[in-house]
Amino acid sequence: MNISLKRITSTWIITILLLFFTAIILGITMRFNQGKVISIDDGKFYGIMTTHGMTMIAIWAVAGMVGVHYLLSRYINVGAGLSKFAFIMTVIGVAMFYVTTFIGHFHAGWTFLYPLPFKNSFAWESWATPMFFWSLTVLGVGWLVWSVGLLVAIFKKYSFSQTFAWQHLTKKDPEVQTPPLVLISAISLVGIVLCLLTAVVILVLSFAEIYSDGKFVNDPLLMKNLIYFFGHTIANESLYLGLGIVYELMPEISGRPKFKTTWYVALGWNFTLLFVLTAYFHHLYMDFVQPLGLQMFGQFASYFASIPSAVVTIISIIVLLYGHRIKWTITNLLFFIGITGWIIGGVGALIDSTISNNIFLHNTLWVPAHFHTYNALGNVLLILGFFTWVANEFSGSQTDPMRKLKLALLIIGGFGFVLMFYCGGAESVPRRYSVYPAEFTRAALFASAAAWFAIIYLLGMSLIFVDIFKKCIRVYSSSHSDSSVA
Amino acid sequence: MKGQEFVLVLFLVCAIAISLISFLIYKSTIKASSEDGAGIKNPLKKRLYFLLLWGGVLIIIMSVTIPKSPYFMYTEQTPTMVINVQAMQYAFIMTDETENPTFEIPAGKMVEFRVTSNDVTHGFAVYNPNNVLVTQTQAMPGYVNKLRWVFDEPGKYNILCTEFCGIGHATQTGSMRSDFIVK
Amino acid sequence: MHKSLLVFTFGFFCGLNLYSQSQEYNLSEEDRLYTKVENVKILTTRGEMLSLSQMYVREPFVLALVFTRCIGVCSPLISNFKEKISELNPKEKFKILVVSFDTADTKADLDNYAKLFNLNQNENWVFATTGQIPELIESVGFHPEWDSSRRQFEHDALLVGINGNGYIVKKLIGIRNIRAVESMIKEISNEFVISYPLPHNNSILSCFTYDPITGKKKPKFGLFLLLVPAIGTVILLVIISRQKKKKISENY
Repeated sequence: MNISLKRITSTWIITILLLFFTAIILGITMRFNQGKVISIDDGKFYGIMTTHGMTMIAIWAVAGMVGVHYLLSRYINVGAGLSKFAFIMTVIGVAMFYVTTFIGHFHAGWTFLYPLPFKNSFAWESWATPMFFWSLTVLGVGWLVWSVGLLVAIFKKYSFSQTFAWQHLTKKDPEVQTPPLVLISAISLVGIVLCLLTAVVILVLSFAEIYSDGKFVNDPLLMKNLIYFFGHTIANESLYLGLGIVYELMPEISGRPKFKTTWYVALGWNFTLLFVLTAYFHHLYMDFVQPLGLQMFGQFASYFASIPSAVVTIISIIVLLYGHRIKWTITNLLFFIGITGWIIGGVGALIDSTISNNIFLHNTLWVPAHFHTYNALGNVLLILGFFTWVANEFSGSQTDPMRKLKLALLIIGGFGFVLMFYCGGAESVPRRYSVYPAEFTRAALFASAAAWFAIIYLLGMSLIFVDIFKKCIRVYSSSHSDSSVA
Repeated sequence: MKGQEFVLVLFLVCAIAISLISFLIYKSTIKASSEDGAGIKNPLKKRLYFLLLWGGVLIIIMSVTIPKSPYFMYTEQTPTMVINVQAMQYAFIMTDETENPTFEIPAGKMVEFRVTSNDVTHGFAVYNPNNVLVTQTQAMPGYVNKLRWVFDEPGKYNILCTEFCGIGHATQTGSMRSDFIVK
Repeated sequence: MHKSLLVFTFGFFCGLNLYSQSQEYNLSEEDRLYTKVENVKILTTRGEMLSLSQMYVREPFVLALVFTRCIGVCSPLISNFKEKISELNPKEKFKILVVSFDTADTKADLDNYAKLFNLNQNENWVFATTGQIPELIESVGFHPEWDSSRRQFEHDALLVGINGNGYIVKKLIGIRNIRAVESMIKEISNEFVISYPLPHNNSILSCFTYDPITGKKKPKFGLFLLLVPAIGTVILLVIISRQKKKKISENY
């Protein structure tokens, strides 16, 4: 494995985790403000909210990319250049974005629902809206080049149908086997390319409105469809990248035979692409203007998206582990807990994607409850599993101090934190409120309790970070002859 | 039991069950004597059973819940009252046809809210006297959404915004009407 | 090719001079909804004396209020509505009742008026006068004002949708697009319409448009924009998957 890929991966990991800490601290600040422990003004609060959301979405999408990029180099010829380019673009994009929120006071939320970015000129600097869209452009270009570059590298070795493992659908043991990692990465990358191209459309329409001096006006319904297609898809594909990593590493670390692509794995993941692209309709259930057929299909796709993932991924993990003696390390434990958290979050999501529930759950705290479950307790843990594994690879050291303490802090802190959101959702507390109206008697209590739980989670995360950091920095001093990896 | 309590209990039961299953799987990997432990016999068949079971459960839940979607509610009836709602940063303007100074809605009768927005997208969420969210729709500029509902419980109902709309989002109870009385 | 694409994109965004006024929620259009229309008696140009209830129990109808001396919006209202209906060709059964709100109009005036639009032989169109103008216009919330200097009424172009139970279920003010007419026909036929666009919402980015020149309903750019990323991704995948393959055996 080439040293420059290791170095850029290590740089990514440290950057991602530092940004993660920043975003968690911003999150804790918001919960303490809602809990009336501290008091910040509303403009600042929503600026923090926008920064928190955008940072989290960005870092966990790129974290998955970092992971699959590194692991794909086992199968395909892919250098570090793409990753370096994306890193530079991400740093520039994030810096520009922080300028818009912290200096320009931009606070339209990371979902920037049209026409909010255009209708608030008095609340933030006039340059902040265009700069926000330019920062998205920089991020989008970086990631688009990266995703397309990885797909190009995959297609250099596998044909179109082999990439998507279609040969496994017709033959039991085809000549060319598609590794699950390649299949899942390709499926996720296609989804990412699709949502980044959607972002391009959003950006073009937004710039047209910005630079036409009000002559060009967008349609709010079309924009909402585009924005949620982009936002929903990128959040979901990040998670699938995490699952790709689990498929690749879980058997290896646990001392079990490697996962093989079978007809049902191939079928399941191909269907996942279809469902994940149409499930976003559930964000528009309460927009009665959306055509009825799309609403119905939204519930159908949201429900049936769970079939391939449940039947394929979950059962595969159970078959892999159940009744076999497993050598547990922090890596596969993080994977295992992450899968559990992902399923639990999925239950919360299924409940909310039911239209007759959505009418009383839509945009209450139930929504952050479920997506924090499958991020903070799902995807983050899957990626962190990868980070711990790759840090060991970089350093050649397998030390794993205070494993039980780290995991206990993550589990107690994480589940306590999301439980407060679920309780708030069940009490009809709306999301994205800087302060809660007095009628919600327990909302402030839930918020400050959640902040304390988040601090526990952050402690666990810090312990893990210290270990990863110490191991990762060794890669900068190691020589080119390093050959700890096959 | 109101909807919110039901879904919370349902969620917690599922979450605990999933955690328990995970724990049992973990335990089985500790207890297993050797590396070629028993494992799961006939995994493909079990997978099929699970697929059928889960697919069946989903289809049943869908066929029960879809007809309860708000789009199909009270569509056969004629509303006794229409309330025009214009959401704006950061207030709701509500007008009933008689423009009463005290805004009252008859209990047990179907009313229709016609909801739109003057500026950005807002949420129009109706909270009952016990502060439970009973129904909602989105207020999108350029479009009018019709929300039909029957309020059985008398008392003061509040309107809150459920779509992030800017700095005053949390206080969009405004100076104008943001509540009504059901009598 | 790239050049032409650029020119197209530039032309597309510069050539559009879209409306930018805010979409006002016209509350007069919402006035008197779900109340019953006054059961007035009308005299049709075919010589029938009918009450409105006799009409709506048979079929729902759209009421248009006009006066024959009008040099303003009345004629465009009728001709536009006629055009929209022939364009839509709805399967729903309904009548269009054109009633004069001018006491000076006689049965013969209305008959001539119908001939103007070539509607005098059309069974679905009923032209009529009534002796109960104030009751009728009050019940539908229509408020014309006589301008004696111009010898004309100042008034809205109003269409009122009345369902089979005599309830006012939809009002349209002004010359409206085909979607508004379609939704009115659905509503009088007791089909619940859960959402509708506000007047002037003719942004090119919604999904369908009605072209008044060709009289065709055509997909709008908005629908296309939703598909652009998907089409783009497919094209991209096809392009990059057709590159030369390296030997499979290169890696394990």
